[in-house]
Amino acid sequence: MKKLVFTILMAAGLSSIPFAANARVMLQNKGSDTLVNVAQAWAEEYQTVKPKIAVAVTGGGSGTGIAALLNGAVDIANASRKIKSKELKMAAKRGIKPVEHVVGYDALAVYVHKNNPMKQIAIPTLAEIYGEDGATTKWTDINLKIPGCRGQQMVLISRQNNSGTYAYFRKAVLGKKRDFKLGTRDLHGSKDVVDLVEHTPCAIGYSGLAYATDHVKMACIAKTKGGPCVNPSVASASDNSYPIARPLMMYTNGAPTGHVKDYLDWIMSDEGQCIILKKGYAPIRAVNCK
Amino acid sequence: MSHIYSITPLNELNHRKDKLLRLLFLMMIVTLIVPVLIILGTLIYKGGSMISMEFLFTFPKNGMTAGGIFPALLGTIWLVAVALLVSVPLGVAAAIYLSEYALDNWLTRLINICIINLAGVPSIVHALHGFGAFVIFAKMGTSILAAGLTLAIMTMPVVIVATKESLQSVPHAFRVACWNMGATRWQTIRRVVLPNATSGILTGIILEVSRTVGETAPIMFTGAAFFLPFLPEGIFDQTMALSLHLFVVATQVPGVPDALPYGVALVLIGMVLILNSLSIAFRIYLRNKKKW
Repeated sequence: MKKLVFTILMAAGLSSIPFAANARVMLQNKGSDTLVNVAQAWAEEYQTVKPKIAVAVTGGGSGTGIAALLNGAVDIANASRKIKSKELKMAAKRGIKPVEHVVGYDALAVYVHKNNPMKQIAIPTLAEIYGEDGATTKWTDINLKIPGCRGQQMVLISRQNNSGTYAYFRKAVLGKKRDFKLGTRDLHGSKDVVDLVEHTPCAIGYSGLAYATDHVKMACIAKTKGGPCVNPSVASASDNSYPIARPLMMYTNGAPTGHVKDYLDWIMSDEGQCIILKKGYAPIRAVNCK
Repeated sequence: MSHIYSITPLNELNHRKDKLLRLLFLMMIVTLIVPVLIILGTLIYKGGSMISMEFLFTFPKNGMTAGGIFPALLGTIWLVAVALLVSVPLGVAAAIYLSEYALDNWLTRLINICIINLAGVPSIVHALHGFGAFVIFAKMGTSILAAGLTLAIMTMPVVIVATKESLQSVPHAFRVACWNMGATRWQTIRRVVLPNATSGILTGIILEVSRTVGETAPIMFTGAAFFLPFLPEGIFDQTMALSLHLFVVATQVPGVPDALPYGVALVLIGMVLILNSLSIAFRIYLRNKKKW
């Protein structure tokens, strides 16, 4: 057995020797599940720009990322919501100065099943659907009939409460004080929401535009009942006409320096911004991509 | 007058009952095997096309929607190796104490209860414990070491219980004979008991490896990353791992080709199956050398 263990270790050791030759700088990057795929794409691409800088990417949610920044465990925290005052207080106590960098924008789309005839929905209507004590529980309440949906009962799909997507949707749609209705299905991941909506005729859910597929439908969002609606798109998120788009942020401890600064500068450059665009999010400014 | 051994109606009934029960138990076994075959079949059917040298030995590409799984595969080997290096010596030593030295008193009973309870702790609790104890308190950071230690603690009961049982299955007469030759307790253990218990100990270790390879929760907080652009170079590095990679490509990344998660799952299950068959082969070899 010992021999086997040693062989395994030797194999593991040997295989990494070619990479051990040059010293490596590690940047820890953790947080938002919304940003995690873009962060991964950045980290992957940055290898070709600066092979000696390695960016380790981990998800877990905006709250997880900010908590790790406050613990001093990461160099960059990803967040799809602003840092809370409670977190700022804790940061001050620990001598950490979170600095915010907006790296892109995300349109939050409202997803429904492909067979759902819904074309547009107003934010006050959404609030009645998702909000605590909201009156709307059936599709027939908003004059829709969904084929294949038994009893026309709405299935509300939401996110776990340390998600930035959850926090932003609550603030932007329900209003700061109002809570979510009990009985929502809180899923752990942006992709899960879209996947479940795809397979549930009765469902309504919210998730980033970047997770859209051909198998689900996105609603056109109006600010007021009967008002004009805007379709979620990268363009409408960039020019601020889409009502539920939010900034995506990276937080550093203090103004970034050295390798962290280089990395953030590269993210803000055309090259970095084209990657976020390719992933379905809106860049911070108009960029020219091939 | 009928013959004394002729079949009575009661005999016949019992015979039929027997047949029925036999069939019932056979069906139960089949229902146990069927899911295994279905899982393996589905994985091979849907993911078999993914498996290639390139898939096994290159980095993921295009936002993990293409390319290979090498960093995750290597990371899993690292994690298993660290977990084994820690838990096997400790677990075997603990089992030797419990089986060969310990008296039947309250302390031994307490230790046994602790081991049973340790085996029953859910993996997510081990994960949080590992995060608190190794990552934060011991300042190891998220690293292979912290994750490996967490896995080692989690799987130690398996090693202890399996080793203890195999030590106890060595006939007591062997020990008595050895002592009567003037051997000490340790000499007896070293030369007689342990060599005769190797196959059982090995079973425990293989069970541990199988479980370690598949665990996701304990490594998520303690050492595994969503994505790393490099291979781990030592126990203080973070790593990717197959189990977490499977979770990630199956649920977190949009636009992954359907076959990719199946391919990852196939590699994961393949690793376990290969290790299991190796150990079975080794055990057969050892069993043939058994002296009783």
